[in-house]
Amino acid sequence: MKNYWWKILAALLLVFTVTAGLLTEVPRLAILNETIRNLFFHVPMWFGMIIILLVSVVYSIKYLRNPTIKNDVIAYESAKVGILFGVLGIITGMEWAKFTWGEYWSNDPKQNAAAIGLLLYFAYLVLRSSFAEQQQRARISAVYNIFAFFALIPLLFILPRLTDSLHPGNGGNPGFNSYDLDNRLRLVFYPAVIGWTLLGVWIVNVKARLELLKQRLYETV
Amino acid sequence: MKLFKILAVWCFILCATAGAQSVQAQAAPGAADQTNVEMADTLRQDGKIYVVVAVLVTVLGGILIYLVSLDRKVSKLEKQLKDDYVNR
Repeated sequence: MKNYWWKILAALLLVFTVTAGLLTEVPRLAILNETIRNLFFHVPMWFGMIIILLVSVVYSIKYLRNPTIKNDVIAYESAKVGILFGVLGIITGMEWAKFTWGEYWSNDPKQNAAAIGLLLYFAYLVLRSSFAEQQQRARISAVYNIFAFFALIPLLFILPRLTDSLHPGNGGNPGFNSYDLDNRLRLVFYPAVIGWTLLGVWIVNVKARLELLKQRLYETV
Repeated sequence: MKLFKILAVWCFILCATAGAQSVQAQAAPGAADQTNVEMADTLRQDGKIYVVVAVLVTVLGGILIYLVSLDRKVSKLEKQLKDDYVNR
């Protein structure tokens, strides 16, 4: 119970998100209509991605200071889960854009920047897979990971706000003003963000433990 | 003790939902001008939205159960490997 209480919390928060996310009363806004509920499912993907990628960067820095296999494995596995969340975020965004903006891909600054950010992280996977030697692979991909994260922040949070973007909360609209993010939305939105993020951390937890077991097995055999 | 903690979390969620409903009640009068915006009102009147909720909860439950079983398998392996270390 000591160690896995947060996994139970993740499950409960997600059940709450799915039920309350569909049933709760939401603001009636033109064009958005019921799709405002995507706030509980699409937006937490990006929040979760940023938080999990931040975990990855922290472990990359830890690896550079203290090169252990554990630090490297956690950095790699959380980067992969972060990328999964990002891909889900961009796909759900496209589905939503088709019905609100009229096109799956309308070259909106937010969409383009998100795509470039994901490409940066795909490059991380390619770079990592191109080294045979374990220490070299771990060190160089840790350095690149730090670079990729700090390139991602302006791409997602600064550049789309400097131009006109259709995306809610962008194009000069700071925060969630255009969403009219009232307390009804917040009450589901914050649990949703925490729940989806914890689910991602849980997946990282299982995958990292499995990878470490594999490494130990190779050592002992 | 374990059961007690699970109960506590459930109570927290129930209170949160109750809080949401009172917030909705307060927000209702200001929403009069928004009623002509199209929402899925008929879907809700028919009551069919609960079908969707049930489906989503099922999918989520399935994924979570799968993740729990993976977690347990990894824990078992960890335990076994540790035993091997000790017995060497």
